[in-house]
Amino acid sequence: MLCQRKTKNNVQRYFGTNNTICSKKDEQPASMHEISKETESQESVKENTKKDLLGIIKGMKIELSTVNVQTTKPSSTRQLKSVEATINKLQKAPGDAPKKRTKSLSPELVAAASAIADFLPFDKQTTKSELLRQLQQHEEVSKAQKNGGRAKISVSNIISDMKVAKSATIRVSTRPVHQIQFDEGSDDYMSQKTSDVKKSLRKNMLKGKRLNIFDLKAVTEETSETETTPSLWDIEFAKQLAAVNEQPLQNGFAEMIQWTKDGKLWEFPINNEAGFDDEGSEFHEHIFLDIHLKDFPKQGPIRHFMELVTCGLSKNPYLSVKQKIEHIEWFRNYFNEKQDILKENGIEFN
Amino acid sequence: MPCSLRQGMFFEPNILQVSHVFSVFYSGSATLPKVEGTNITGIEEVVIPRKKTWDKVAVLQALASTVSRDPTAAPYAFQDDPYLIPASSMESRLFLLAKKSGENAAKFIINLHPKYFQKDIAEPHIPCLMPEYFEPQIEDISEAALKERIKLKKVKASVDMFDQLLQAGTTVSLETSNSLLDLLCYYGDREPSTDNHFQQSGKSEELVKDTGENDKKSKKADDQFGVTWRAKNNAERIFALIPEKNSYSYCTMIRGMVKHRALVQALNLYAELLNNRLKADVYTFNALIEATALNMNEKSEDKWNNILELLKQMAAQKVKPNLQTFNTILKCLRRFQAFGRLPALQTFREMKAIGIGEYVSWCPSLEGTTDKTSLLSHSAENPSKGSSRIIYDIMNEITGQKFTPKDPDDDMFFQSAMRVCSFLRDLELAYQVHGLLNTGDNWKFIGPDHRRNFYYSKFFSLLCLMEQIDVTLKWYKDLVPSVFFPRSQTLIDLLQALDVANRLEVIPQIWKDSKEYGHTFRSDLKEEILMLMARDQHPPELQVAFADCAADIKSTYESQDARQTAPDWPANSLNCIAVLFLRAGRTQEAWKMLGLFRKHNKIPGNKLLNEFMDSAKASNSPAQAIEVVKLAGAFSLPICEGLTQRVMADFAISQEQKEALGNLTSLTSDSDSDSDSDISEGI
Repeated sequence: MLCQRKTKNNVQRYFGTNNTICSKKDEQPASMHEISKETESQESVKENTKKDLLGIIKGMKIELSTVNVQTTKPSSTRQLKSVEATINKLQKAPGDAPKKRTKSLSPELVAAASAIADFLPFDKQTTKSELLRQLQQHEEVSKAQKNGGRAKISVSNIISDMKVAKSATIRVSTRPVHQIQFDEGSDDYMSQKTSDVKKSLRKNMLKGKRLNIFDLKAVTEETSETETTPSLWDIEFAKQLAAVNEQPLQNGFAEMIQWTKDGKLWEFPINNEAGFDDEGSEFHEHIFLDIHLKDFPKQGPIRHFMELVTCGLSKNPYLSVKQKIEHIEWFRNYFNEKQDILKENGIEFN
Repeated sequence: MPCSLRQGMFFEPNILQVSHVFSVFYSGSATLPKVEGTNITGIEEVVIPRKKTWDKVAVLQALASTVSRDPTAAPYAFQDDPYLIPASSMESRLFLLAKKSGENAAKFIINLHPKYFQKDIAEPHIPCLMPEYFEPQIEDISEAALKERIKLKKVKASVDMFDQLLQAGTTVSLETSNSLLDLLCYYGDREPSTDNHFQQSGKSEELVKDTGENDKKSKKADDQFGVTWRAKNNAERIFALIPEKNSYSYCTMIRGMVKHRALVQALNLYAELLNNRLKADVYTFNALIEATALNMNEKSEDKWNNILELLKQMAAQKVKPNLQTFNTILKCLRRFQAFGRLPALQTFREMKAIGIGEYVSWCPSLEGTTDKTSLLSHSAENPSKGSSRIIYDIMNEITGQKFTPKDPDDDMFFQSAMRVCSFLRDLELAYQVHGLLNTGDNWKFIGPDHRRNFYYSKFFSLLCLMEQIDVTLKWYKDLVPSVFFPRSQTLIDLLQALDVANRLEVIPQIWKDSKEYGHTFRSDLKEEILMLMARDQHPPELQVAFADCAADIKSTYESQDARQTAPDWPANSLNCIAVLFLRAGRTQEAWKMLGLFRKHNKIPGNKLLNEFMDSAKASNSPAQAIEVVKLAGAFSLPICEGLTQRVMADFAISQEQKEALGNLTSLTSDSDSDSDSDISEGI
């Protein structure tokens, strides 16, 4: 589809705001009086209506190919319905815009514009010239968008800025509606119906009456729940959840990730610490063990001995920090136990 | 792994600093600089670099993120021996099942004979490669032994142990009793149907010991309908034996009863719980909601009022509802058919209003969405309701979000969404859904193989229907076969799209593909292909390609003859193949086709006979022309007369031949009325 996708949100919103008018129109196309009344009220909210209209026209999708303009595809017919319903209440606009502006536009575009004008049930010349003027004005814009996005020129983008002139008096002609409906065949009723429903539901699907049982505050309130060990129910539920997004692996790295998690693979980063658990202690804790010699004498043979011990320990890769400290502790206790002998030999300890 | 190495590897630039620290140490200062570098006078501040912790999979994840899908290759899971790469959905299923069952078989053997698999060659030790112990190790009668049996999910052994403990006069702690109740309630007082690993390998029966013949029978029934709750089972008995029940005991009992469809008992037990002035937790309420909805004897309206009553009780007891609460409600409402629609919407809004899931992202309501869309697509057959339209609102909310699994039914979402798109014929929406699927890791939510196939078939059919043919073909190249194998209906959709766009030259390629993907014997597909190729005249090169394709299709019919006892040669296909041969100038083969018509007793079409006549004229062979007339005469076709006249006019024929023709026409003129209906089937 050629319709620019980025305008989609806007389009849908406009559909929403305009729906009441549209559906009324469809139901009572013959009731002239009511319609003209309605148009009067529209005058007061002219700005809004205009916006809505633009939105609807934006939503109209027209497939442009180099040879012809196809509107047979279901989506375009569905969208066209609403356009036609809205345009229906518009008056033929007098005036004819000069055609000289079209010279910079490609003949294909001009052809497309006139084709569109054919679809719209009011003055073809007006529409066409309006279209072409807008084409001119937005040539730069559409060029930029063409470069940025899709390769083909988007007609819907161009006519999204189309303005349809409206005169003071309103006359409603029902003939084109029937004509087009007839052209569109049997699925027309359905698409019209569903698009109406779509519009009416647009408003209230996610907003509206709720159960009103729970209070937002009470639910979001943080309660300090006591941590309990997960029960069998929790574990089994977690397993079910894990199975939900289990998919075959996408590439070799994903497989390696899986193996790493299973514990089958040497863990990255590859170094000599694999399988060595020293509780996240850092290198200086391994190497600078003098800090643990505070309680030992500052000098003398015991100090000398202990410095040798720490030096040896600091070079030992096979012990964890905890084990190294335990080792030093062992010597402390040992010397403490041997206080008597030490004293006899005149060696200070503490 | 010496320390010096360890340090050298990551802190190379800091060796200077380190040696500086050393010099500080040995200069005899009393206090040592701390890691943070407390300032001692005259000593520079030393900042010791922190150890960097690496996530063990970070490197791999970074590498994996650089690999994108290769549309020209088979999925990674299938990359093995090239000979084994599957070419159809059937084969891919077989491939995956075979792989899985191989793994399961190996695991089963290892666990069955752990003593033969004790050699631990890996350093460091790899636990997952070692046999698992499923037999309890503690032999004596104690609470520890009971705990072990509960952990190993030995239902019967746990119950026996509990009884023995009671007989010995030992009191079992409430916590252990509750976990025993958990086990009994979760599995409905049956042995769990073994680990998932063994389920597919079909060995589960052997693993379950101590199950009598009766149990086995009921087990099979249970697999289908879930284990039913038997009155006075061990769970109820032990529950009665626990002296001081807390609310958890009640809750787990209620959940177990609901899980195994003892709904009335569950509701009664809830009343008992309230009488004992205890409070139920949110999971129990979820179970109760389910019980209320499943209760057979009530009308939808009453059920809904009961559910509302339960919700009000939750609010009164300050029990916070969770996602499962609302999903349970939505799932239940789906069963209420038309009545459930409005309550479902209200529930959905309630969910949104109290922000279930909204503060993390919208992903939790994905499940709500799931239920919603499937709920709505059930009524999708009736478009006047237009209820599928909620998808627009939902898509607006969740576009661009990344999901995490929150509900076991999460993998239904994309399938349902695409079904709704397909129903609405909304390509924009389908693109939007597909975009969402490709956001982050959302593709993982597409579910198992059949769901993926469903999703992509719907998506591709929609593309065929609505998208320009070039774009469709681009998608075709991208998706087939690396993502899914098309069904024959999908290919027919594509053919029709090609027809609409007047791009029939691609057809031979499509036929090649469909042969590849296992649709060689799909006659509807073959007929569609032949019909499209034979319908119009084409430029000569294309006709040659079409004739090759037709010859290929013809050969499949011939091999089909060998496969089946009753050969099936549709007249249409015969006609088309003959026409294609004629148009490509392969006259010999075309004439052979005429023989086939006779052999299989099928009626050639008028147009075909005329074309044959043209061909005979082109080669100026009256014998062939008479052959055509004879064939038409043999089937008593009304065209016979016209053909005869043509032969008379166009060819120089001998007197003998003239007489033969005269006989033919007189024969057919009597009986042409009964062949009328047959002719209309021809071209």
